[in-house]
Amino acid sequence: METMKTPEICDLPQGLFTRAEFHEELSEETGFSNYSYWRSTFRTFFKSNVVKVVVILMLLLVAYTIIYPMVTDRDPYTVALSAREWNLPPSQEHPFGTDGVGRDIWARVWFGTRTSLLLSLAVAVFQVGIGVIVGAIWGFYRKLDTLMFAIYNTLTNVPSTIYLVLIAYIMKPSILTIIIALVSTGWISEARWFRSRILALREADYNVASVCLKTPPKRIISRNVVPYLVSLIIMDAALTIPSSIGSEVFLSFIGVGLPQDLCTLGNLVNQGRSAFLVYPYQMICPTLILCFITISFYIIGNKFADASDPRNHV
Amino acid sequence: MKEKIFEAKDVVVKFNLRGRTLTAIRGASIDLYQGETLAIVGESGSGKSVFTKSFIGMLDKNGWVESGSMCMDGVDFSRYKTEKEWLQVRGKKIAMVFQDPMTSLNPVKTVGEQIREVISYQFGTEKAEAKKQAIELLRQVGINDPEQRYKQYPHEFSGGMRQRVVIATAIACRPQILICDEPTTALDVTVQAQILQLIKKLQKELDMSVIYITHDLGVVANVADRVAVMYAGQIVEYGLAHEIFKDARHPYTKALLLSQPQLGVRGHDLHSIKGSPPNLYKEIKGDAFAPRNPDAMKIDYEYEPPFFKASETHYAKTWLLCDKAEEYCSELAQASAKRAEIAEAPPKDFSNAKPLVSVRNLTVNFKLGRKEFSAVRDVSFDIYEGETFSLVGESGSGKTTTGKAIMKICHTSGGEIYYDGVKINRKMKGHELTDFRKNVQMIFQDPMSSLNERAKVDYIISEGLYNFHAYKNEKERKEKVAAAMHSVGLLEEYTTRFPHEFSGGQRQRIGIARALAVEPRFIIADEPISALDVSIRAQVINLLNRLKNEKGFTYMFIAHDLSVVRFISDRIAVMYKGRVVELAETGELFRNPLHPYTNALLQAAPVPDPDIERDKEVLVYDPSVHHYESEKPYWSEVRPGHFVWANDPELAEYRTRLK
Repeated sequence: METMKTPEICDLPQGLFTRAEFHEELSEETGFSNYSYWRSTFRTFFKSNVVKVVVILMLLLVAYTIIYPMVTDRDPYTVALSAREWNLPPSQEHPFGTDGVGRDIWARVWFGTRTSLLLSLAVAVFQVGIGVIVGAIWGFYRKLDTLMFAIYNTLTNVPSTIYLVLIAYIMKPSILTIIIALVSTGWISEARWFRSRILALREADYNVASVCLKTPPKRIISRNVVPYLVSLIIMDAALTIPSSIGSEVFLSFIGVGLPQDLCTLGNLVNQGRSAFLVYPYQMICPTLILCFITISFYIIGNKFADASDPRNHV
Repeated sequence: MKEKIFEAKDVVVKFNLRGRTLTAIRGASIDLYQGETLAIVGESGSGKSVFTKSFIGMLDKNGWVESGSMCMDGVDFSRYKTEKEWLQVRGKKIAMVFQDPMTSLNPVKTVGEQIREVISYQFGTEKAEAKKQAIELLRQVGINDPEQRYKQYPHEFSGGMRQRVVIATAIACRPQILICDEPTTALDVTVQAQILQLIKKLQKELDMSVIYITHDLGVVANVADRVAVMYAGQIVEYGLAHEIFKDARHPYTKALLLSQPQLGVRGHDLHSIKGSPPNLYKEIKGDAFAPRNPDAMKIDYEYEPPFFKASETHYAKTWLLCDKAEEYCSELAQASAKRAEIAEAPPKDFSNAKPLVSVRNLTVNFKLGRKEFSAVRDVSFDIYEGETFSLVGESGSGKTTTGKAIMKICHTSGGEIYYDGVKINRKMKGHELTDFRKNVQMIFQDPMSSLNERAKVDYIISEGLYNFHAYKNEKERKEKVAAAMHSVGLLEEYTTRFPHEFSGGQRQRIGIARALAVEPRFIIADEPISALDVSIRAQVINLLNRLKNEKGFTYMFIAHDLSVVRFISDRIAVMYKGRVVELAETGELFRNPLHPYTNALLQAAPVPDPDIERDKEVLVYDPSVHHYESEKPYWSEVRPGHFVWANDPELAEYRTRLK
């Protein structure tokens, strides 16, 4: 270890070797990081190129489904009377061709996407919303365990298809019916998932401290627990969207979904199926859009889950 | 001088963190000689772990060695890039023992298998032969019945035993250098002493050089031949152990030694270091310690000091050793001489005081699967108004459970707890519970987990105020928060920040402020300083003491180390396996420890003085010394105020010893 060269020390003025003023407040400055949970989450999220591409494409797609029905003069429900307009292959005028009664599939796909997206968004909001509330109460009041596990086991041990079909039969086919059917089968798994998250958090020291201060459970949940889980809730909602679109398609496919004449992705796929062997594009085109939406939401949901984990905030 | 076997020179380590480049190690150098023990002392964030990890290429993915060299046998490691190159060094030349034995063993493999694998992998030894060697290693690290233990899984081992296994794996390849990164921090004091002894023994047998990384000066005094003190990514002072302990030159080292709780004199403040240690984000100009040093010179703020020589083996990086500072040094020396000898305050008399908290025959049982076990067994004590009562014991002794039971956040299985004459271990009515919660508060051990990260400091401190409607209007609430912040020595404007912007010590003070805000009478402090940096501990102890005097609190202090509680407690109870084995006034307990377990605890606590530490014998408490089958033990008072758990023959012996 070398020491500093002597001339330099000689050059130092003697005046510097006297007492400096001491500021106690300055000693508290540790130098603080500009770390912010949400900023870091989004930075990590958008670091991946896949995410950038998918998010941009998704935004374009959503924008298009909103704008297209507003600006187009093409009605997806207009039936062409002339048989020359039926089952046309894709062309300049009809990018996805027309179906068996001459309706423009391009227009139907975008109207359908809009319906399906709205429907799945509603399902996601209600399902996750109810799940979070019930799960929070379930996690905090252990006495509910017996009751809630009984409900959970009943609901999950019977295949959900059976309820979906049953509910869809009992009620009139409509968008509301589908929402009710999907939410009523999905909420319990959300609640259970959320309960386990709460259980892990409720024994944490800062929650015990709140109990010592006699903070009411309502506020412990809303101030101490839920803020920790917001990113997980967002991720969960993002993952619910593709699965509820899938369920809608499935229900429409077996014929108990939305009314046949309504434009949804499920109905389009179902109608395309009947003509699949002769006119494959009638099924393939809507299916491609469906696949794109589903996969994109899965990617977004999963990548967001990774990004929301503070351990990945490097 | 012995042969130099390793030399790290001007090492600079940088990290990429969220788009910023931070310098963790700012040009640190170290030499290591054959067969010696070097201790690197520093607090969290000083870079001691990062520095040594860079020797074996185990930096985190976002870190790298920017410049400097690390030479061993003429090879410079700092140029190594690939894992393959590092495997030449790691384990074979330099091995490492980590802090937490829980995470450094594979839970799904038997311990023997884990050691055998290392041997087979490194030397290509046959399986049967390697197994034989592994069993030999287990015997060497002091594990009884190694053939049987070989087949067991890590969870069947206690913490100390697990750490022995980790050490066995580390020495399996006969490394020349063993780096121990806080090897005993996660262990109990009595186990710690045994592990330190084991490492010493192995070092002699295998002729290794050992680098200890620790923040505990007691451990350093026990093991080190040479000591290097690290602060803010630099070595600030290094020298032989007795030079550092008896003749420290750097202001940081001096302050660190002075602020040991063992040196505290009752009734007076501990010497404490102001402020908080800098973290990586802080820009450092001049001497990194200057902002916390009340005696800093002007030059400390301007230029970084070079190393000055204090003796052939002792160097310190401080301007105080410069010729030009001679005048200022003598000024300082006079000032410190003036701080005359201070007398210890006499113990307070509580014979007429009324108990604020009474615990009678408290028992807490837990169910573990189908088995039931008692965490707390038949514990009785009183805590008088205005006193500091300490509960001391190792992990698993039931001290925290007792605290939680008094706090009413844990069930009780038997016995009674009274607060202010009212029984509290029952279902309480709403307003009764509110009253109780207002009066009794808790301070938690780990400041990192005890604050809500998603709430601002303002909310955290006001939480109790909201709950008890303890304010008339918003202005009064703000005033109360400000007062609480002020009394723990934090600036009022910090209330708009989030907890993650604070250091550990500051966070602990916020936790204390949260408890203070509701103006309690009784505070349970569950190991409030054990998770804090050494330079911060004295601050927090002084703060708790000051608040006690100002506001007349009564404390129950839970700790695992007798030396820490010595100067703050009025009375101390020692717990072992759920039972209080001895209870006495502090001075009496230290003068006349009766129970063998108390003796072991007293003996095991490391003292920051190499002369005492070096020749210390390790006392191991063995419960089989008692013969409780024939004569049942009971709780009795051997002397006024001095209780012990013993049977008749033992009591007779204790009484004669006291005469």
